[in-house]
Amino acid sequence: MSQTAKRLRYVLKRLLQALPIILAIIIVNFFLLHMAEGDAVDVLAGEAGSATPEYMAELRKKFGLDQPLPVQLLVYLKNVITLDLGYSFRHDMPVLDLVLDRFVPTLLLMVSTIILAVGVGIILGLLAATGLNSWRDTLISVFALVTYATPLFWVGLMFIVVFALNLGWFPTSGMENIAMFYEGWDRYWDIAHHLVLPTITLSLFYLALYTRLMRASMLEQAGMDYVTTARAKGLTERRIMFVHVLRNALLPVVTMAGVQVGALIGGSVIVESVFAWPGLGMLAFESLFARDVNLLLGIFLLSAMLVVAVNLIVDIIYSWLDPRIEVE
Amino acid sequence: MRNFWQLYKRNRSAVAGLIILVVVVVVAAIAPILFPQDPFSLAGLAMSPPGENGFLLGSDSLGRDVAAGIAHGAKTSLLIGLLATIVAVGFGTIMGGLAGYFGGKIDDLLMRTTEMFQTIPSFVFAILLVAILKPSINSIVIAIAVVSWPAVARLVRGEFLSLKNREFVQACHTLGMSDIRIMLGEILPNCLSPIIVIGSLMVATAILIESGLAFLGLGDPNIMSWGFQVGAGRTLLRSAWWVVTFPGIAILITVLAINLVGEGLNDALNPRLRERQ
Amino acid sequence: MRIRNWMGIALGIVFVALAGLSAHAQKAGGTLVMLVQPEPPSLASYQSTSGPIGLMAPKVYDGLLDYDKDLKAVPSLAESWTVSDDGKTVTFNLRKGVKWHDGKPFTSADVQFTIMNVLKKIHPRGPNSFKEVMEIETPDESTAIFKLANPAPYMMRSFGSYESPIVPKHLLDGQDLKSASIANKPVGTGPFKFVEWKKGQYIRLDKNEDYWKEGLPYLDRIVGRFIPDASTRTAAMEKGEVHYGAYGAIPNVDVVRLRELDSIGVTTDGYAMINPVSLIEFNTTKPPFDSPAIRQAISLTLDRQFLIDNIWFGYGKPATSALSSSYAATGLYAEGMPNYPGKPDLEAAKKVLDDAGIKPDANGVRAKATLDLIPYGEDWRRAGEYMKQALGDIGIQLDLRYEDVPTWLKRVYANYDFSMNVNYFYQLPDPVLGVHRHYGTDQIRQGTHFVNSSRYSNPKLDALLESGAKEPDAGKRGAMYKEIQEILANDMPVVNLHEMKFLTVFNSKLKGHDASGFGAYGSFDQTWFDE
Repeated sequence: MSQTAKRLRYVLKRLLQALPIILAIIIVNFFLLHMAEGDAVDVLAGEAGSATPEYMAELRKKFGLDQPLPVQLLVYLKNVITLDLGYSFRHDMPVLDLVLDRFVPTLLLMVSTIILAVGVGIILGLLAATGLNSWRDTLISVFALVTYATPLFWVGLMFIVVFALNLGWFPTSGMENIAMFYEGWDRYWDIAHHLVLPTITLSLFYLALYTRLMRASMLEQAGMDYVTTARAKGLTERRIMFVHVLRNALLPVVTMAGVQVGALIGGSVIVESVFAWPGLGMLAFESLFARDVNLLLGIFLLSAMLVVAVNLIVDIIYSWLDPRIEVE
Repeated sequence: MRNFWQLYKRNRSAVAGLIILVVVVVVAAIAPILFPQDPFSLAGLAMSPPGENGFLLGSDSLGRDVAAGIAHGAKTSLLIGLLATIVAVGFGTIMGGLAGYFGGKIDDLLMRTTEMFQTIPSFVFAILLVAILKPSINSIVIAIAVVSWPAVARLVRGEFLSLKNREFVQACHTLGMSDIRIMLGEILPNCLSPIIVIGSLMVATAILIESGLAFLGLGDPNIMSWGFQVGAGRTLLRSAWWVVTFPGIAILITVLAINLVGEGLNDALNPRLRERQ
Repeated sequence: MRIRNWMGIALGIVFVALAGLSAHAQKAGGTLVMLVQPEPPSLASYQSTSGPIGLMAPKVYDGLLDYDKDLKAVPSLAESWTVSDDGKTVTFNLRKGVKWHDGKPFTSADVQFTIMNVLKKIHPRGPNSFKEVMEIETPDESTAIFKLANPAPYMMRSFGSYESPIVPKHLLDGQDLKSASIANKPVGTGPFKFVEWKKGQYIRLDKNEDYWKEGLPYLDRIVGRFIPDASTRTAAMEKGEVHYGAYGAIPNVDVVRLRELDSIGVTTDGYAMINPVSLIEFNTTKPPFDSPAIRQAISLTLDRQFLIDNIWFGYGKPATSALSSSYAATGLYAEGMPNYPGKPDLEAAKKVLDDAGIKPDANGVRAKATLDLIPYGEDWRRAGEYMKQALGDIGIQLDLRYEDVPTWLKRVYANYDFSMNVNYFYQLPDPVLGVHRHYGTDQIRQGTHFVNSSRYSNPKLDALLESGAKEPDAGKRGAMYKEIQEILANDMPVVNLHEMKFLTVFNSKLKGHDASGFGAYGSFDQTWFDE
């Protein structure tokens, strides 16, 4: 069998395996959400001030919430098969529109965070590994841990106070300047400007992981036979370190980054909340408390599909980078 | 044991971490002696800065003693971290062990289940569980455990997979030992060290998750914890910085200490690193 | 037929007066960014009185009337109005030439449709406010005649655009009111047109160039911005990214700091129409709160000033009766009610409990209960934590429970599965609208939110409430409400805690945002930037 055909079979197999997982996510969360007291109508009526039980019954009928649970679930599953994620009770909009609308900001934040965290993490990990057990190593380890252990919201609020208020370098929050409604390149620049603080805040949290991973990976590679061979061949330490070891040490870091992009699709509730970033995390958070079942299931479904897809892509890239690993 | 300590103490920051951790545990244990009053009691003038009106670390908007809250909260936060970890590690070890040992269909089923939990955005899922089970210390522990166990399961499965084909395990099979005995008596002791390492780090993560949940208003309103203090004080950050900052620092140094200890354990228990040094 | 003419000041005169008052004329232009928190579920103010809807929708819709700062009715879509002598016929003369934002003309048919088919049917308070309206006659396009079954003086306070927005018949008639597209994309006659709602970020309204008030609005645009975190909202206000935040968008603790800044203004005006009061509801049907004694004891024990000082940072006034003291203006508020002490009186509280046979056990505990807290923010958690400590002192041992909104609503108003609940109610400009729903036997409506969940029932009180609603004579009405307040202070089905003072925080450059009695729920047509 050719390599390409093998890969294709592998991709198909993985996708098939993912199906029951996604189905299970829907079913489990569907029942979990319905275990909770109250429904979307209670929330809407509560916010409205007051509503008669008759009016609430009408709304439930409209939303299909008066049906028995298994029927509601079947209806939902049937719709999902046709890629119809249903209607959000609260927003009175198709779930797909809502989720896609929030997807771009989420992706922006997540990708920029991973790039920053991985980039800085690799450098710090490298510096730590090359100075093993020196003060530099200790300092970097402690720095990485401190950024990890500081509560996110505290870092976020401090950044707002220092960089947005006192220094005035960045806007406090939001994704774009809504007094101006910029267009074209000005708008992209404006969004990038808004992206800086949330990205730094969130990447501080992930920095520790990549720093440690990079350090460990470097040390692991340094003990490998090929390094001894290279030394025997008379290559300089510098060359060994930066060409041979570094390249191999990067593999697990890159894999991890890929997996994390997938896992981060759900967004970061805390950073989004502090910086009023319109991502999926806050949307999920709000839809939970509004008992907007369709919307929350839609977010879970979409993020699950993305996690599966990203993991798959990472695995394939990995197998290209490192021919020793065979897809099976 | 002696050998282990010899290995552990070579890592100086791990020793420092251990000392900090011991201090935190001691403070938690003697909190009722240090601060005999209920940490929720309205002890005096509200929003007193540190060192004033008899408040070592200041008081909050209701006049509660921040220092008393930190001392009493230490117990809760450590307990949440420890309990959630025990549940997660216990459950994850069982799932991973069974999957790795038996392989085949059981492995498939258990691993798909694990993947399912790893595919759901974990913090959002924790929030969902706490909201549905209603905010209390129990629901917080359960939620943290539910989002933490898959990592343990994967790790344990890997260990079981590699160990089950080793000669000593094969020998036990030949001797006619039962599966349970082989799993518990032979394989498990051999993969305890990575479990201990991942468990120690999980305690730290659990403490962070608890404070994150509290920030979002999902803490137990009846029990003093660092998360509670942080959640209650967050709007005071700019008017009375001490109310939120000191509990924040408590979280920071505890999480830091636990991580350092975890790294130390890793260095001391990991045979590969041991050989190299 | 003697006609009481409430004809307000003609608008032209208002403008002349305003122009005369301010030497420097209002400047047109500018974008106002206001905090809207939380993001509203829709913009359908005709079916929801939700706060964030109230911030945006009244800029798009007009009411028949508007109310000035003294809550006096002034013309809006109705140029003038008359109430017949028997109080059973109200005639509105509508403004001519007004157009909906889609260009269609506004007529009396819209008024008839709005009141009869929309507000009376699906508005949360409409069925109550317009209970007596039997039909609305529309002899011509600019006249609407309300025919009432009984006089309803309180109704005349319900015609503002927040409470009763006039909606376009041509876009709603024959539609499912609950899912009509104008729920999210409102089309009104007001000073601003709806442009865009970017979920999770903002709602944008642009100036209505064809607004019927000549030369208004001043602003080019209003953007309602959503920022979930309170501390971030404060920072955005400090930095000048947002210009206006009402209804506690900026936490009181930050207001204490911000009010010292020259660039920021703070006011407690603009909330007279809603009149909010914080309170504790008791489940009067089961122990321990089936006894009035323990409810009185709680009222005697709580230090209301402590709550105001430490949780609301000085903004508020201790409650002294079932009615807010702001009803003093209409002569309905009665002073000196029992069980509302100026200072907490623990001895009196203990005596009341002892006399009722609620004695402490060996541990000093007289009763145990769970206190539910309204899940609308941290302040209420602090209040609960205070109460737990304070009531512990008289032997009432509390556990706190803080659940999410749907769980809490279900527990308190549908399942009645609670014993004691902290909450707050809007008393509104008349007790019939805001207070009766708390105490009347007919207001024990399982499954309906924010009504009589204490399930307190007293035929004598019911009779007084009924006659109080209809009594046109202010003196007689005052006497009736005095008796009502005495009964409620003794039976104490609900303990009022404090008259809340909401805060509006604004950029000092922003002027004229307080033109209407509705404050933040006003139309903002006269709001402008002084730059």
